[in-house]
Amino acid sequence: MKIGLEMHFQLPTRSKLFCSCPTSAADPNHNICPVCLGYPGSRPSLNRKALEVGLSIARFLDCRIEERVWFSRKTYFYPDLAKNFQITQYESPLGTDGHFDLNGRRIGIWRVHLEEDPGRIKRVGRSGEEVSFVDYNRSGIPLVEIVTAPDMQSPAEARAFIDQLIIELRSLCDLDAQDEQKVRVDANISVGEERVEIKNVQGLRNVERALKFEAARQTKLLAAGKKVILETRRYDEERKVTTSAREKETEEDYGYIGEPDLGEFHIGQMAEELDLKETPLVRARRLMADHGINEVTAKQLVLTSSSLADMFELLCRSVSSEKAVTWTMGPISSNWSALQDHHELWSEVVAAVKADSDGEITDNEAKRRILSLAGVKQETAEAGDADLDHMISDFIDAHPEVLANYRKNVKAANTVIGHVMKESRGRYSSKDVVEEVRKELEKRV
Amino acid sequence: MSVPAPHELIRFAKERYHAFTEIAETFVDAEFHFSAKDNLCANGFQARAGSAILEGYVPPFDATPVHRLKTAGGQLVGKTTMDEFGFGTFCVNSAHGIPLNPFDIQRSCGGSSGGAGAAACLIPGHIALGVSTGGSISGPVSFCGVVGLSPTYGRVSRYGLIDYGNSLDKVGLLSRSATLVREHFQTIAGPDPKDPTSCAQPQLPTKGRMPDSLAVPKEALANLDPAVSKGFQEAVGRIQEMGVKVEEISMPSLRYAMPAYYILATSEASTNLARYCGMRFGRREEELNQHFNDFFSGVRSQSFGDEAKRRILLGTFCRMVGFRSRYYLKSLAVRQMLIEEYRKVFEDHQMVLTPTMPFLPPRFEDIRKMTPLEIYGADFLTIPPNLTGMPHVSLPCAYQQGLPVGMQLVSDHWREMDLLEMSSEWEGHFPYRFPEVGP
Repeated sequence: MKIGLEMHFQLPTRSKLFCSCPTSAADPNHNICPVCLGYPGSRPSLNRKALEVGLSIARFLDCRIEERVWFSRKTYFYPDLAKNFQITQYESPLGTDGHFDLNGRRIGIWRVHLEEDPGRIKRVGRSGEEVSFVDYNRSGIPLVEIVTAPDMQSPAEARAFIDQLIIELRSLCDLDAQDEQKVRVDANISVGEERVEIKNVQGLRNVERALKFEAARQTKLLAAGKKVILETRRYDEERKVTTSAREKETEEDYGYIGEPDLGEFHIGQMAEELDLKETPLVRARRLMADHGINEVTAKQLVLTSSSLADMFELLCRSVSSEKAVTWTMGPISSNWSALQDHHELWSEVVAAVKADSDGEITDNEAKRRILSLAGVKQETAEAGDADLDHMISDFIDAHPEVLANYRKNVKAANTVIGHVMKESRGRYSSKDVVEEVRKELEKRV
Repeated sequence: MSVPAPHELIRFAKERYHAFTEIAETFVDAEFHFSAKDNLCANGFQARAGSAILEGYVPPFDATPVHRLKTAGGQLVGKTTMDEFGFGTFCVNSAHGIPLNPFDIQRSCGGSSGGAGAAACLIPGHIALGVSTGGSISGPVSFCGVVGLSPTYGRVSRYGLIDYGNSLDKVGLLSRSATLVREHFQTIAGPDPKDPTSCAQPQLPTKGRMPDSLAVPKEALANLDPAVSKGFQEAVGRIQEMGVKVEEISMPSLRYAMPAYYILATSEASTNLARYCGMRFGRREEELNQHFNDFFSGVRSQSFGDEAKRRILLGTFCRMVGFRSRYYLKSLAVRQMLIEEYRKVFEDHQMVLTPTMPFLPPRFEDIRKMTPLEIYGADFLTIPPNLTGMPHVSLPCAYQQGLPVGMQLVSDHWREMDLLEMSSEWEGHFPYRFPEVGP
């Protein structure tokens, strides 16, 4: 089975790709101007920030980057497309021939390019009496399109690919936190010879479902001695099936020409000068190589928080990597929320671990020291616990009927739990609250 | 005979000559009056670009050249008549009337900035903003006996211009005198962040240099109307008397300019015109309760003129699979080749001199008999500098049968001030004539 993906992510810029309209949420048709509405006489000018982010993605994916790029017009008629052509990149993408390593397998990246998003159509009203509205707030939002080679071998692998890519891109360029749900994907899949394109699937979960359905459909067809036809299909999220879209546009049908209003961009130097952040999975691979730790531990370190991985690397300078792993994943990790923002304490944590490693103190002593370093917070936590106890007993004192009810039905505890959760506004975890309430009620019963 | 006041002239120009599609309600005591071709956006005026499909479109902004002239103290007195989206050589393809030539109202003003040509001719001191894609300034300038500059591509911001062919469109000026053109050109030229293609230009020099040698390509002298030939030869004689050398040369690539131009211009135009579909702005009379494809087709079939439809079809065809590399991409190569051929000429000469139009302003009855291809052919002298993005001026150079004959000077990129220097000098040697306009 071969699967290739075309993914569209929104780039994290404050303004649109070709005008200064904001990209933030707003009432329909509020973030619009003559440019993103395609008014006659208006003209695009490129958002440099979008170019920069797009280039850093191309470089991160190890793409070849040409010195000179330009934009193209892709012409088709649709009500959400303000100019009835989309400004995109055709002959000259930002990057080509890159790759992404997915759990040790190399997935080819064919191209990375920038383009503008069309508006959004909303249909309202009862079936048969539907009315369509167009919201152009999205018109001109910058997207990056990443096209892979058909190198993935299963729907699960395709999902893992997008998942890991999002982790990396999020750290590289602050992609949207909702991208697992918002990513828009066109997926090509072939079980036998002929491929099928599933267009415009939104969200990670739907991509996997659509591919699974399509893989099963093609396998069944082939097993029955039938042929899979080259076509475009759509994924129906409700019914969880793909259906034929009865159309197959080829790229050439869009009648691409250069976008004369934007001219050419010399990007070689800009691409070279970009300072790429080390992304989590790349860092995990480096930690494995530098410190000989296993993949699970490495990923756990970088995905918990990048500062925990910083702590780990700091420890590695003073103690062996086995020791560093044991302590980082143990007492340090469990008290990390109290320690991570207090950089001044980090060296004392290292000193404790080093003293232990050198045999100067016992494990227990080292642990006690780390806990006491984090202790400022612990005391507050204890004080907090005391508050919780008070809140519970005060409520039970004031409402004796609760205890009476509890004797008949333990569900009466919910009254107390509900009150405390509301009063404390989520300061305590529901698990703690439930536990403490039960304890107090049981004590009084 | 008394000379009418400027406002009266503006009204005459609109009512008698159809030079304007709309004029200001009141005229203020401004530093100067100017007009804008109807494809340039301006607050408070419709911008219909000669098309019925833009009926009622009042843009919410000023085009940069309009804005700059207003800032310099000018009043925008009206929008001038044009061929629909600039598609035409005689200004007969307009949804808003056909301008009449001030020298003979039976004849064409030229196109597509026909109204601008007529206004510049009729109103002394008037400055008209025109737009040239393939000769839309030079043509009317020649037929209306005025002076016109089409600057280097990218010299004047196109922000606020309703596009025809974005890689070819240039905003320029028409007027009775080169002095006025120079003054206002300095106002409208210069980079504008709202049009990225205007931001790569070198600074405009304050003064131009007179050429010492002009080149006349012999290919440009074939197929001329005898009256134009005669007038042009007289002008060459006068130029030599001014002490400027004139030498005949050969530019074999000129003949490829026209097909390449029509392919590039219509390819771009067919995408530019895609946005006119009855949504968001302009005319919308179709029934909304139908599939969007039918709605769009309905609006477009009804509101575009024949020439617009012809160019959309031609351009769409050129962009399609199988034809794109044969036509569109090859035309881009022709453009490059022609630029190199001009550059070679500019090694020994400062400018290329030709007649502007191959015949005298034609009668409307004769235009009706011409085929589209014959009409396209009329632009063969104005297309080459437009295709290569080189600046050019057209100046009156003779009068034949009571009608003006125009000559065109082309220089290398960014050398507009040299062209204007030569134009001013020429005015001193050849007095222009303008038709009298009675009250």
